[in-house]
Amino acid sequence: MMRGDHPIHLVTGLTLWFAWFLAIYATLSVGCAVAPPPVATGALTWINAAIVLMTVAMVLLLGTLALRCWRGAPQAEEGPRPSRFLARVSAAAYLVAAIAALVVGLPTMALPPCT
Amino acid sequence: MTDSTRTDNPAERLGQVWRNPPGLGALSVVSHSSLGLRFMVTGAFFFLVGGLLAMLIRTQLALPAQTILSAEVYNQFFTMHGTVMMFLFAIPTLEGMAIYLIPKMIGARDLVFPRITSLGYYCYLFGGLIILSSLFLGIAPDSGWFMYTPLSSQQFSPGPGSDFWLVGITFVEISAMAAGIELTVSILRARAPGMSLRHMPLFAWYILATALMIVFGFPPLILASILLELERAAGMPFFDVAGGGDPILWQHLFWLFGHPEVYIIFLPAAGIVSTLIPVFARRPLVGYRWVVLSIITTGFISFGLWVHHMFTVGIPQLAQAFFSMASMVVAVPTAIQTFAWLATLWTGRVTWNLPMLWILGFLIVFVAGGLTGVMLALVPFNWQVHDTHFVVAHLHYVLVGGMFFPLIAGLYYWLPHLSGRMPSERLGKPGFWLTFIGFNATFLLMHLTGLLGMPRRVYTYEAGVGWDWLNLLSSVGSFIMAAGIALIILDVALHFRFGRKAPRNPWQADTLEWATDTPAAPYNFISLPDVQTRHPLWDHPDLPESMAAGKHGLAQANHGRRETYGSDAITGRIRDVIHLPGNSWLPLFASLCLAVVCISLLVRLYPVALLGVLGAAVFLLRWGWENGAHPKAAPVCADEPSQPPLHSRTCDGPGRWGMVVTLLANGTLYLCLLFGWFYLWTASPHWSAPQVSPVSLTVMVLAGLLLTGVVATYYRIVHRLTAGDDAGLGPRLWGLTALGAAHWVVLLYATLSAPLAVTEQSHDAMLLVMLMYLLFHGLVATILTALQAWRVRLGWVNRALPYEPVVLRPFWGYTLGIYWLSVVVFLLVPLTWGGAA
Repeated sequence: MMRGDHPIHLVTGLTLWFAWFLAIYATLSVGCAVAPPPVATGALTWINAAIVLMTVAMVLLLGTLALRCWRGAPQAEEGPRPSRFLARVSAAAYLVAAIAALVVGLPTMALPPCT
Repeated sequence: MTDSTRTDNPAERLGQVWRNPPGLGALSVVSHSSLGLRFMVTGAFFFLVGGLLAMLIRTQLALPAQTILSAEVYNQFFTMHGTVMMFLFAIPTLEGMAIYLIPKMIGARDLVFPRITSLGYYCYLFGGLIILSSLFLGIAPDSGWFMYTPLSSQQFSPGPGSDFWLVGITFVEISAMAAGIELTVSILRARAPGMSLRHMPLFAWYILATALMIVFGFPPLILASILLELERAAGMPFFDVAGGGDPILWQHLFWLFGHPEVYIIFLPAAGIVSTLIPVFARRPLVGYRWVVLSIITTGFISFGLWVHHMFTVGIPQLAQAFFSMASMVVAVPTAIQTFAWLATLWTGRVTWNLPMLWILGFLIVFVAGGLTGVMLALVPFNWQVHDTHFVVAHLHYVLVGGMFFPLIAGLYYWLPHLSGRMPSERLGKPGFWLTFIGFNATFLLMHLTGLLGMPRRVYTYEAGVGWDWLNLLSSVGSFIMAAGIALIILDVALHFRFGRKAPRNPWQADTLEWATDTPAAPYNFISLPDVQTRHPLWDHPDLPESMAAGKHGLAQANHGRRETYGSDAITGRIRDVIHLPGNSWLPLFASLCLAVVCISLLVRLYPVALLGVLGAAVFLLRWGWENGAHPKAAPVCADEPSQPPLHSRTCDGPGRWGMVVTLLANGTLYLCLLFGWFYLWTASPHWSAPQVSPVSLTVMVLAGLLLTGVVATYYRIVHRLTAGDDAGLGPRLWGLTALGAAHWVVLLYATLSAPLAVTEQSHDAMLLVMLMYLLFHGLVATILTALQAWRVRLGWVNRALPYEPVVLRPFWGYTLGIYWLSVVVFLLVPLTWGGAA
C-alpha cells in the first residue's frame, strides 16, 4: 500500500500533468517539423495517435495514483491528522491532474495536427 | 554588547538585540518589517508614476486626432506604464506585503535570510530607478511591456530604450527571486512550533505557492533578457532569422514567465481575500482543503497557458486547442475559491466596513475579468479581438480587480498594524466609490471600443469610426478613478495624524500577526507560542498577553543572538533554533556594485562593468563569510543550546533549503536554455549546425572527468563529516579546490580554443552561452570550496560544525549534472542532426 501522506504527493500529480503537457506539445511540434503527416488524413495520423496514447496512459496513471493515495491515507485511529490532511489533498490533486489531462487531450480526437 | 547594557527584562533585551539603528544606519537594517514597508512605499511611488502615465495616455486618447503626445512619446509612455505597473508596482508591493506579514502570521521573528531581503530591496530600488531614468532622459523603451522581437531588436530599436528595459528588469528580477526563495524557505522551515501544514493560515499557502511560482516562473524571462541583450550588444543572433535565430523564441520565453506572472500577482491578492472574509464574516473560511487544492492547482496549470498569448503567430490548431483547453481549466480552481468566499459570506454574520467594500468591488470586477478571460481562451474569439482594446479592458479587469482592489482592502485592514490607528470611513468610502465607478467607466466601455475594432498601442485615431464617445467616456472615467485614488492617499496620510487609536486586534482577527504590538517591535513577539490551530487568536484570545509576558519559547536573548524557531516543514515540530544575522551594510554595497554593472552595460563601459562584478563578488563572499561560527554570527560558546541546537550546528538548516530552492530556479533557467536550443533547431528556418562541433569533445570529456572526480570526492568527504569524522578535512578540501581549478582551466581552454562564429550563427552563440554557464558554476563551486577549506583552518567548520559543506554539496552535484547534460545535449545530440540543415 502506498503511503498517501508523504508531502511529495501534493505536487507529484500536477508535476506529472505539466510534464505530460510539455511532452504532447513537443511531440506535436517536433512531429510536424520532422515528419508532418499528409493534410488529407485529418486527425487520423501517427501524431494524434501518439498523443492520445500518452494522454490515456497519463490519465490512467494519475487516476491510479489518486486512488492509492486516498486509500493510503491513515485512518482516524492510526495516524495524526496532518497525515490525513496531506493524503486527502494529494489524492484530490492527482484526480484534478487526471481530469485536466483528459480535458486538454480531448481535442486530439478531432483536430488535424499540423494545420 | 557589554554586560552593563544587559537587562533581565526580556522585551528590553530583545529590543537591544533586534534594534534598528537610526539615521544613515537605517540603510543597514535587515528587519523584515522595515524592508517590507520600504518595498510597499517604493511600490506606491512607482504606482503613482505608472498612474500618471496612464492619465497622459487617456488624455491623448480622449478625443480623435489629438497631438498632445507624439507617436514616439506615446510609445514610450504605454511601454513604461505597463512595465512600471507590472514589474515595479504589482510584484514588489505584494512581495513587500508578504515580507512584512509572513513571519508575523507564522509566529516567527523574521524571515530566515534577512540580508537577502535587504539585497532584494536595493536591487528593486536601483533597478527601478535605472528604468525610470530612461523616461526622464527621453530614451525610454518603446516596444511594449512584452518587448517583442524584432521590434525591440537592434535593427528596429537602435536606441538604448530596450537596453534599459532588459538590464533594469533583470536587476529588479534579482529582487523577485530573492523574495521567492526566502519566502519559500521561511514558510516551510520557520513556522511556530506545532503549526503543521494543515494549521497554516491560508495566506501562507497562497504566498508559498506564489513564491514557488516566482522560483520557476522568472528564470525564463531572465534568460530571454540575457539572450536579447547579448544579441543587441554583441550581435549574437538568437532572435534574428538570418542568423539561425527566431523572434518567436522570445515570445515563448516571455510568456513562459508572463502567464504565471498573472497568477503571481493574483494569488497573494486572493490570499488577502481569504484572510479578510473569514474575519469579517465571523467564521472560518468554508472549504479550507478545497482552497488549498485550488491554490496548488492554479500554481501548476498557470504554467500550461503561455501560448494563449500567441494564438495569432501561426501555430497549428491542435496546439492552440491544448492551450485553449488549459486556459479554461485554470478558471475552475479560481471559481472554487470564489464559491468558497461566497459560501463563507453567505453563512457568516458579515460586518460591512471599508475593507469589505473593497472585497465586494474585487468580487464584482474580478469575476467579470475572469469571464472575459474564458472568452479570450476560445481561439476564434481570440483571433477576432487580438491586439484590440478588448484585451486591454480584460487585462485591467483581471489585474486591477484581481490585485488592486484586494490590495487596498488589505491596506485598510492592516493599516492599524502599521500605524496603531484606525482608518477613516468618511474619506475611505467616497474613495472606494469613485475608484469603482471610474474604473468601470474606463474599462467596461473599453470592451466595446475593442469589439468595434480599435487596436491597442495606437497613439491616435480618426474621428467618425465609432470610437469617439467611448474613448471620451473612458478618459472621463479614468479621471474619476484618479480622483478616487487621490482620496485614498489623502485618507491614509491623514489617518497617521487623526486616526482613532487602534485597540489590540481591532478587527477581532484570528491570525497571529495581531498578537504583536501595533506598530510591531522589530522582534515581533517577545515569546513564540505553540500553535495547534488554524485560528490561534480565536481559540486562545489570551495568547497576545501570554506571548507579551514571555510565557512561551525563546523569550531570553541574553546571548545577544537574533533567534527564531526552525521547525519541521510538515508537522511544525521544533528542529533547531535559527540564529539570524544582524544589521549589515553588505547587501547595500553588493547591490550598489550591481547597479554599477547595469549602468556600465548601458553605456557600454565594459571594463567598469567587470570591476562592478568583482566588487559585488567581494561583498557577497564577505557576506557568506560572516555565517555559522564566525564571531559576527554565532561563535561557539559554552552555554549555547543543544536541545534544540542552533541551526548552524546541524546538517539541515535553512541554508540547505535555500540552496536547493535556488538550484530549482537555476535548473529552470538551464531547462529554458535547452528549450531554446531545441526550439531553434526545430523552428528556425535558417538554423544550421556544422558537421563537426566547434567545441572539442575530447577536451570537454577530460574536463568532465576532472569534475566528476571532484564531486565524487566532495560527496564522500561530506558523508564522513556528517558521520562525525573530520580527519584531514582541511587538506582534502584544499585538494578539491586545486582539482576544481584544474577542471575550470581545462573548460576555459575548451571555450577559448573553439572557433565559434557567435555573431553569424545562433548555434555557435548558444554554445558560447552554455560554456559560459558551465564556467560560472565551476568557478563559483571552486571558490566556495576554497573558502570552506579556509574556514576549517579557522575552526569554523568541523565535525561539530558540519553545516556549511552540507549546504555546498547540492551545488557541486548540480554543477556536475548540468555539465554532462550539456555535453550530451549540446555536443552529442547535434551529431545525429546530420550537419548543416
